[in-house]
Amino acid sequence: MSKKTSSNRKTGAIIGLCVLLVLTIVFGYLGFNGMPLDGRGLYRLLPWMPTTNAENWPESLALGLDLRGGVYVEYSAQQPDEIEGSFDALMDGTIAVIQQRLTDKGYPESTVQKINNGTGIRVEIPDVTDPQAVLDLIGTPAELSFRDPDGNEFMTGKQVQTASYFFADGDHQVAFTLTKDGAALFADMTAKSIGKQIAIYLDNEMLINPTVQSAIPNGSGVINGMGSEERARTIAAQIQSGALPLVLTQQKVDTVSATLGDEALSTSIRAAMIGILLVMLFMIIRYRMNGVVASWALCIYMLLLFFFIAVIPGIQLTLPGLAGIVLGIGMAVDANVIIYERFNEEMRAGRPARAAVRAGFKNAMSAILDSNVTTLIAAIVLLVYGTGSVQGFAKTLLLGVVVSMFSAVVITRMLMTWFVKVGLNKPSLYCTMKNTVEEEQK
Amino acid sequence: MTVKNRSRICLTVSCCIFVLALVLSLFGLGINQGIDFAGGMAMQYSMGKEVAQSDVEDVFKGMNIDAAVTVQGANRDEVNIRIKDIATEDVQTIQQRFVEGISEKYPDVTQNGEVNYVGPVAGRTLLSNAFWSVVIAAALMLIYIAIRFDFSSGLAAVLGLLHDVLMMLAFMVLLRSIIQMNSTFIAAMLTIVGYSINNTIVIFDRIRENEKKTPGDDRVTIVNRSVKECLGRTLNTTITTLITIVALYIMGVASIKEFALPIIVGILSGVYSANMINGYVWAMLDEKLSVGKKSKKVKAKA
Repeated sequence: MSKKTSSNRKTGAIIGLCVLLVLTIVFGYLGFNGMPLDGRGLYRLLPWMPTTNAENWPESLALGLDLRGGVYVEYSAQQPDEIEGSFDALMDGTIAVIQQRLTDKGYPESTVQKINNGTGIRVEIPDVTDPQAVLDLIGTPAELSFRDPDGNEFMTGKQVQTASYFFADGDHQVAFTLTKDGAALFADMTAKSIGKQIAIYLDNEMLINPTVQSAIPNGSGVINGMGSEERARTIAAQIQSGALPLVLTQQKVDTVSATLGDEALSTSIRAAMIGILLVMLFMIIRYRMNGVVASWALCIYMLLLFFFIAVIPGIQLTLPGLAGIVLGIGMAVDANVIIYERFNEEMRAGRPARAAVRAGFKNAMSAILDSNVTTLIAAIVLLVYGTGSVQGFAKTLLLGVVVSMFSAVVITRMLMTWFVKVGLNKPSLYCTMKNTVEEEQK
Repeated sequence: MTVKNRSRICLTVSCCIFVLALVLSLFGLGINQGIDFAGGMAMQYSMGKEVAQSDVEDVFKGMNIDAAVTVQGANRDEVNIRIKDIATEDVQTIQQRFVEGISEKYPDVTQNGEVNYVGPVAGRTLLSNAFWSVVIAAALMLIYIAIRFDFSSGLAAVLGLLHDVLMMLAFMVLLRSIIQMNSTFIAAMLTIVGYSINNTIVIFDRIRENEKKTPGDDRVTIVNRSVKECLGRTLNTTITTLITIVALYIMGVASIKEFALPIIVGILSGVYSANMINGYVWAMLDEKLSVGKKSKKVKAKA
């Protein structure tokens, strides 16, 4: 009877190990090669594991500026005396304008964010070849253009004298007056275009294209339907000053060339790979069978970690982020080491392997939990208080700790239990039977 | 040697290192601040042929600008230039004037790699952010450990953290000729805050367990035994983590090195403090804090 159940257990464990092995191999293959099934009605699975070849970098893994090359700028913002309206609203307007400009000029992946409690702006622009041109672009005055029914520009912001925000008929509007020659041009054009549409563009964004009802001779006009007060004020300020609503001063500029980024990327990935192989070697020498378990769990950990980095939006791989991953590997191995040391203690005390697995986990769990929670605390504080690359590091560290907990508690445990059930339960497979600790206790 | 003496010696050694670093800082040999903290401008040029440092320096002298120039690269054909205290408006003019000035002797000069500019405000914000993140993280950990263990463990662990952070700062002073402090140092510091506490926790976990097993033993004996029992784990973990970080340090580019070296120092300091200092500090604190409570505690356990 007992023989039968034990052989049942053995079969179960073998099946379990085989399934996990197949899963690891399949998942690993997909991780490096992806599944190109597009065009057949199936979704496409992109590869997500990093490579040392920066040119063949998997597109699903977003790279930070330091690895990809690009420009990072921090500005402080001041409100000019002549501009009215709340600072916060103008700030939002400024951010929207910068974002719009960068998108228009071919940098759609740029991010523009508030920093320092909303008193500054951070702009990150990847893949830039001429940093100074991009920086100039952010600072250039807004271009206002009036276009005739055929889409040709007949007047620019130079002919605008004043622009101001006002609220009427339940609508946020911008009123403008034109200079003398502007008024003449405008009167002429409106007279020619009755019944047709003329348009006003700001930085290539169409603000309004009203149908002309009658000629407008007095050189003043209204742009209505602005949607919100914030938008109307921003546009009024832009037309008035011809620049951004707020005055921006550069506080910090970081530019990284793409070649430097590529080099940083490939060397760190190579270093990480060598590091991981050495860790596996060390673990196998030190913990024998359990070292094999640890190495396997580490492979699964890497596959899962990069999978999450690829699919969770907003996580970018940065240089410190890579170091966070390397550290995460350390943490994942740490949990394993704690378990194996406990397991070996039990084995040396003469317990059977299965009981040793159970006791090892039970004893190790509190230490693993407490040490991971304290690391989580540090990672969360970093996430909340850090900026830029430090935040990128915090995200990968956070993810690393969570995945390493999973790998230590679930994967390692499964593997150890199955290994023992399969019959790999001789103590000499796991540790030397030195009893130094035990003796000292007595 | 008794645990007490050993821990005292270690504490003294640590304090000596801190004092040495402090004295060096007071004499102007403090942390080598990168532009992230100090503010200023850094740029790199590739010159097309071997560079004489004085050629580059002369150009800046001509412009009346105080610039620190280092020659780099395998062929000694790259220069790294750092200028402190400049206004934003000047960043572009300085670059232009430098290229104009140097291109007589080095016609192939091209900008290479990074050009960074940091205003004085940004550096200060960074510092205060860093300071507060460490304080907040430490406070939260103190609370967590106080709940999971006891207050003296929390305090001892956080003091251990403080030790490790100070040690990292001290080594930034001692290694000032090979490493600069930039914003990644903050990430490194917080990594250590999160990581090196693991060693302490694992040992305190053992202490917690051994206290229950043998309630009669005095604290120092329990600490000594717990540290010994955990030594295998502590060493193996430290070795595995160090393997990967050292690989990064050896192979990595400059910005990775700037990050990896403080982490290496922090990890080593963490192992050292967890094994040699923190347990003893806990024993002392717990003894002082629980005078009067002790009889209760023993009864409860019995």
